[in-house]
Amino acid sequence: MPTLLDSPAFPATAPSAPAASLSELPEARRRVGAWWLVVAQVLFVLAVAAAGYATGVLGETVTLLTTPIDPRDLNYGDHLNLSYSISQIPGHLWKGDAVPRRKQAVYVVLEAHPSGYEARAVYPTEPTVPAGQVVLRGWITDAFRRSMRLRYGFERYYVPADVERKLRPKQRLRVQVSIAPWGQARIKQVDILPLPKTAKATR
Amino acid sequence: MSQKLLETDGAEWVKKGIISSEQQAQLLALYPEEKPAIGLLPLLGSLLIALSALSLVAANWQDLPELVRLGLLLGSITGSYVAAEYFLRRQYKSLGIGLVGLGLILFGASIILTSQMYQLIGYDLTGLLAWAVAGILLTWLYRSRFLFLLTVIIGGIVQGYNTGQLGVYSYFTAALTAGGLGYYWWRRPDSLLGGVLATGLLWQSALLINHLHVKITWFFVPAMLLYAAGDWQRNRPAGRALQGPPLVAAFLFTLGLALFGEADTYADRLRPPLLAYVAALGVVLALSIWAKRARGHLSSTTDWLLLLPGFYLPGGLALTVGTVVVLYAYSGSVLARAHQEQNQDRVTLGTVLFILTTAVAYFRLTWGFMDKSLFFLLGGILLFGLSWLLRRRAAQTFSTKTSE
Repeated sequence: MPTLLDSPAFPATAPSAPAASLSELPEARRRVGAWWLVVAQVLFVLAVAAAGYATGVLGETVTLLTTPIDPRDLNYGDHLNLSYSISQIPGHLWKGDAVPRRKQAVYVVLEAHPSGYEARAVYPTEPTVPAGQVVLRGWITDAFRRSMRLRYGFERYYVPADVERKLRPKQRLRVQVSIAPWGQARIKQVDILPLPKTAKATR
Repeated sequence: MSQKLLETDGAEWVKKGIISSEQQAQLLALYPEEKPAIGLLPLLGSLLIALSALSLVAANWQDLPELVRLGLLLGSITGSYVAAEYFLRRQYKSLGIGLVGLGLILFGASIILTSQMYQLIGYDLTGLLAWAVAGILLTWLYRSRFLFLLTVIIGGIVQGYNTGQLGVYSYFTAALTAGGLGYYWWRRPDSLLGGVLATGLLWQSALLINHLHVKITWFFVPAMLLYAAGDWQRNRPAGRALQGPPLVAAFLFTLGLALFGEADTYADRLRPPLLAYVAALGVVLALSIWAKRARGHLSSTTDWLLLLPGFYLPGGLALTVGTVVVLYAYSGSVLARAHQEQNQDRVTLGTVLFILTTAVAYFRLTWGFMDKSLFFLLGGILLFGLSWLLRRRAAQTFSTKTSE
């Protein structure tokens, strides 16, 4: 069986014709290429930052409620896996002709309610909506007979240290998500809702 | 040949009349003196200082203003590339390439940390894809084996993150790794890189099979495609290195089938639709044999013995015996070819495979009913006898070689 054992200990770069033509680049050209690559990498990181900043500033803000956070998540370092009230959507909101499939990209129409935005309809193609409603892009992770689970891309929240200290198991969060005109969305702010027990007491 | 060897032994060769002193001077001129490596202690010192700075920044990362964080990230990327260029110009090749690698790692870290800063992560995969692209471009630019290795690892991480965290498989990343690095290896064949590339691509194939939730045996279609690519490579050592990982996977799988295949319970999980599987594998086999004919090493077709789809047979003793026969046929063919080629390393490899097969066969076929002390005694004697026999055969082969 051929393995690395077959090869001599030194690199077996055969001095064949193609290898020779592919030897070192001319020094000057390599240097120019290297500088372009450095500039491109710096610009890319800046673009990621700019996209994040612009989504926060230019985007439309919607408020979403999460389901209680998984207590196990609190033990695992720096992030939470959030599940929203709009992550699980009843099947009758589906407006497509075909049956929804796993991994399909969908457009969710959200409408403002006093407590936060809730899903109004789910389309397979981008719909136009009246004022007061917003469209959010998502992906189906599981399609059941009477409901479907969606992923939006902001399920993962990197918890700042001051927020982390206040978190308790089973806590619900109110999350402000900013949706950019070009469809990108990100978490802008997270507020901790009172624990269910205290909520009952104030009622 | 290293310059040191020429210097130390060169005088001896001149004395013995193997080369003239002019030829020695010419040879020495071919291998110019290398720059002395930078002292280890200053290097360790700067590493420690860098670590202290890193831990200071990491501890206060959340409290730093966003612009400062961004500045730190961009500064460290640019800094390492500039330092790399500085050292490369002064002919400190390894240090320079090491710093390029550091810059590449910092680029990936910057993408991740910036995305976290704006809570962007998890939305799409362009960010990490850019990391793999940068790695491939740097490999081509610097023609470096270290950067090649690093990029294979980065490709594996990016794909692992895609499937694990985002639940999507990036075919583009896979194609990019196979195309960008594969073509590099094709043009500059190299044994080590062949093994590394094959391992990286097998990892990505395994992730794909897992992601698609198909029967795990489909894994062998991309794996053997890789094997066939090794057949087409004109540089045999490099081609064989690329074929190593797929063959290791196939051998281990067959070994596992011999050990555990008797219970039919999970044999079901191994069976894709017969016609589709055999057709797909058949196409790859045809490609491989075509290459073997074209390159004149048709005798290595015995490697394909490991791909016989024995898991379609009903589980039980018949399957175990059949698999053991296949394993024997394979390790025997490796040994036979090794003796034919008089290749010491491959004889060792074949011997190990042969003994491993015997051990498995013996364990499978006798553990159930034989008295345990007798089992171990007989097993020991069997292995001793086998190793003696194989060694004697090897000694014969190589004594005839030296006497020729």
